[in-house]
Amino acid sequence: MVDRPLDEAGLVERARGGDLDAWETIVRTHQGLAFRTAYLLAGNAADAEEAAQDGFVKAYRALGHFRRGAELRPWLLRIVANEARNRRRSAVRRERLALRAALEVRPGDAVPSPEAALLAGEQRERLLVAVERLPDDQRDAIACRYLLGLTEAETAAALGIRAGTVKSRLSRALARLRETLEEGGA
Amino acid sequence: MNELELRLEELGRELAFPPTPELAPAVIERLRRKPFAWRRVGVAVALALVALAAAFAVPQARTALLDFFHLGGATVIRVDTLPRATERSHAAGLGFPVTLQEAQRRTGVRLLLPPGERPSRAYVLGDALVTVVLKADGKPVRLSEFGSFGPGSLQKLVAQEANVEAARVNGAQALWIQGPHAFEYFGRNGFHRAPVREHGNVLLWLNGDLTLRLEGPLTKAQALELARRTQ
Repeated sequence: MVDRPLDEAGLVERARGGDLDAWETIVRTHQGLAFRTAYLLAGNAADAEEAAQDGFVKAYRALGHFRRGAELRPWLLRIVANEARNRRRSAVRRERLALRAALEVRPGDAVPSPEAALLAGEQRERLLVAVERLPDDQRDAIACRYLLGLTEAETAAALGIRAGTVKSRLSRALARLRETLEEGGA
Repeated sequence: MNELELRLEELGRELAFPPTPELAPAVIERLRRKPFAWRRVGVAVALALVALAAAFAVPQARTALLDFFHLGGATVIRVDTLPRATERSHAAGLGFPVTLQEAQRRTGVRLLLPPGERPSRAYVLGDALVTVVLKADGKPVRLSEFGSFGPGSLQKLVAQEANVEAARVNGAQALWIQGPHAFEYFGRNGFHRAPVREHGNVLLWLNGDLTLRLEGPLTKAQALELARRTQ
């Protein structure tokens, strides 16, 4: 007989009972998004790694407070994001975000002309600079919602704010970005 | 989703994130390490030092620390000379009189009483010690209860000639003290009740998180019987 893999709720229950193997599975499942979230919020890789690690340790110790039946991912992101924001406050400077090799072509894409690729790369670079210049609260909302692809509810959980506040911050941030890009002619 | 939002999502896919480090081994290793209970040790050491300091602050007792017992939140120290202490009546110096309900609300102690006993008032000392005066075998006795937040919060200084014996109440540890002693209390928030001289016999015992103390002119058998029924 082959053991069926446990669903996340089952893993959480086992971890709640002290099963570290179950928690290890959960860490491996969520560590990518947790680290990227921490990276965008803390501003550098070293702080992000520390924040994500501390977040998973604290989350395990706080499993008794995790509401049964609730979604684990927003709860984890909230803890990790909180650790990351705490580190940003003490960080000297934030690493500048960078784009992957802009001309990388994904399988199935039509190969763009060198001019079109250059233009697209420049536009992305300009958008990235505009995002970086946003006030921290708006930048964080944009980072969580669009750059990381979190839902509005997950963005609210990660930032420790209400869904309505996420909406208003995104709205202000998008307006400012439009303004900046129009001024720059992008 | 409008065009700008789509461009931002695209930007997210193009971001050069540093490679995700392997977090699981470090997380699991940290969780396997048991945190050292510094806080618990600190509280126990601090309270023991307070108890010792209090005993040694009494000039006559300075060279006369003879024995030391711990039971839940209580410490019993045997000295060869008891400190000068005030004497009290059954209800005096027990604290502020309130209803049972109010005493439980103020201290968080769920008061345990013998069946059929429902005193009209309780006395609250500091922030955690509740005392009621009961009648047992026709004699007035005091029953005090408090949450055990560390050793040494309730302190008994007993004279050399007093008898201190280990006992059991419903399977839990207990101490029976017969002979002259003084009672002193250190509350959680720096509250301190100076020593009060007592003449009755005392039974100290544990019930869950509570430390209980029965004091009065009872024999050991009578006190143990009353303690057994206090649930």
